[in-house]
Amino acid sequence: MNSKLGWLLALLLIAPITNVMAQAEAPYREFDPMEDYLPHVKGDLRLSGSYKHWKDPKNLDWRMAGNPDENWKLNWKFMDPPFNASVHGGHFALDRGETIFKELNVKGRFAACLGARKGNLKGLRAAYPMYRPELKQVAGLEEMIERCAAKAGRVLQNGSYDNSAVSLYIANQSVGMPIKINVTSAGPLQAAYERGRKLFHTRAGRFNLACSSCHTYQIGLHLRGTVVTSPYGDVAHYPVYRTRYQLQSLHLRFAECNLDTRTQPLLPGSRPYTDIEVFLTGLTNGYPVSVPSERD
Amino acid sequence: MRTGNKFFGLTTFIVGSLLAMAASGSDLPADFAANPAAVNMTQQPKVVVNSGLLEWQPFSRDLTLWPSLSYDDKRPTPKPRLVKLEEPLNGDPARGRELAMARDKGYCIVCHELPGEVWAGTVGALLLKFKQHNYPNELVFQQIFDSRAFNPISVMPPYGTFGILNEQEIRDLVAYLQSLE
Ligand code: HEC
Ligand code: HEC
Repeated sequence: MNSKLGWLLALLLIAPITNVMAQAEAPYREFDPMEDYLPHVKGDLRLSGSYKHWKDPKNLDWRMAGNPDENWKLNWKFMDPPFNASVHGGHFALDRGETIFKELNVKGRFAACLGARKGNLKGLRAAYPMYRPELKQVAGLEEMIERCAAKAGRVLQNGSYDNSAVSLYIANQSVGMPIKINVTSAGPLQAAYERGRKLFHTRAGRFNLACSSCHTYQIGLHLRGTVVTSPYGDVAHYPVYRTRYQLQSLHLRFAECNLDTRTQPLLPGSRPYTDIEVFLTGLTNGYPVSVPSERD
Repeated sequence: MRTGNKFFGLTTFIVGSLLAMAASGSDLPADFAANPAAVNMTQQPKVVVNSGLLEWQPFSRDLTLWPSLSYDDKRPTPKPRLVKLEEPLNGDPARGRELAMARDKGYCIVCHELPGEVWAGTVGALLLKFKQHNYPNELVFQQIFDSRAFNPISVMPPYGTFGILNEQEIRDLVAYLQSLE
């Protein structure tokens, strides 16, 4: 611990500088060191190197899934189709989603409201989150489902089973298509990506942890029984069927990680969660939509 | 190392500053998953099969006290604190061990290996045979109270500054670690 005395001195010297930098309206916050992510699933090769194990079925080594020390390198992809062919709760949700979608889309207005060209849902999931001019903001697919269903007089709250079921049905029309959102050209989506990246590195909650404290800096390490995986490629399998929690949207997974790390969770569809979604979707660019999937 | 007012006396404990940080129900950020009327304001989602409504249930503890990721949350994160330990330590190692295992107290085993724990975490340093290091109590106390004093980007929670453990509890933990041969 002797080298820590050096840290201590450094801290005393740095403290006044950070004070000046903290602006009046921005409260004092701490951040993990910023990582230079690549907005494409290949970026994982630099971060954790696990991508080579899960990028395609041919290379998926099933023996790794049964080994707690190797499991994380598969990024749980052995639970996604086509690797996981079992019938699970996600398939029932898919049927439910189809029924609701068809009820809402009798005149084709629901699909149009979601941004489908000529009623064609193919590729729609791979292009979300997107900037919605009518809202003057970036929105995730589940937020749009809630808004568009409301126009048709139906309540589909963001995060509810039925909302996620419709989202899953829409995602299912893009199975195998690579996620593709542009977060590098200047514009609202890129701004949201940058805000999301910053949030991902922002310390919060009772334990003063950031998402990146685990998902960037502790990949492959044990937190009691669980092992942290790479943040690349996760978004492609949402909404996901959780054997313990039923159907879970991506924002509800954020809330779960917030609660697990004793940080006040936010509402699904909130601006910060949408920004983190844009960030993580950027990191999933190039990976195929993989639903209906399962996680324990 | 002791440069006068850089240290906070432990008598002026942090409970006051934490309470000042707590938002009252009316000025909670609008995007908090919280019920201002509840004792524990924090709510957790419950997905109900075949329903368009998302249900919320009270969470086991109130997390509205600490800074969140909401853009409307203007409360500052408590800054790193240097503390001065008054000897004698007067810690109870047995109580310290309990605190190290308890989920809503130290829960040190989530990151550290400690004797007698099979599913320990591997994020933090090994704490087995801790006594061999011969660290002064004061350093160990500071590491638990607020590890940011040694490492600004430490992932170890600032137990003292954030009010997770009180002074006596940290003394008990120091005594426990110093007893590990
Ligand atoms: C204390 C460590 C920790 C922190 C902090 C944390 N998580 Fe997690 N997270 C986990 C673990 C463990 C899992 C389950 C294993 C896995 O897939 O990594 C997980 C799972 C996830 C998943 C699902 C991965 C999948 O395969 O479906 C997402 C998405 C996620 N976290 C996002 C976040 C976000 C966003 C934050 C910050 C708001 C965050 N996490 C904070 C530990 C953490
Ligand atoms: C979220 C993970 C985490 C938790 C929980 C945690 N620690 Fe740590 N701890 C660390 C890390 C990482 C280090 C390495 C130094 C640093 O980053 O501050 C560390 C370092 C230490 C050290 C210094 C070890 C050395 O030889 O230098 C001690 C002592 C310690 N922790 C005690 C505890 C105790 C006691 C608890 C429970 C009250 C605890 N830690 C909880 C992550 C954690």
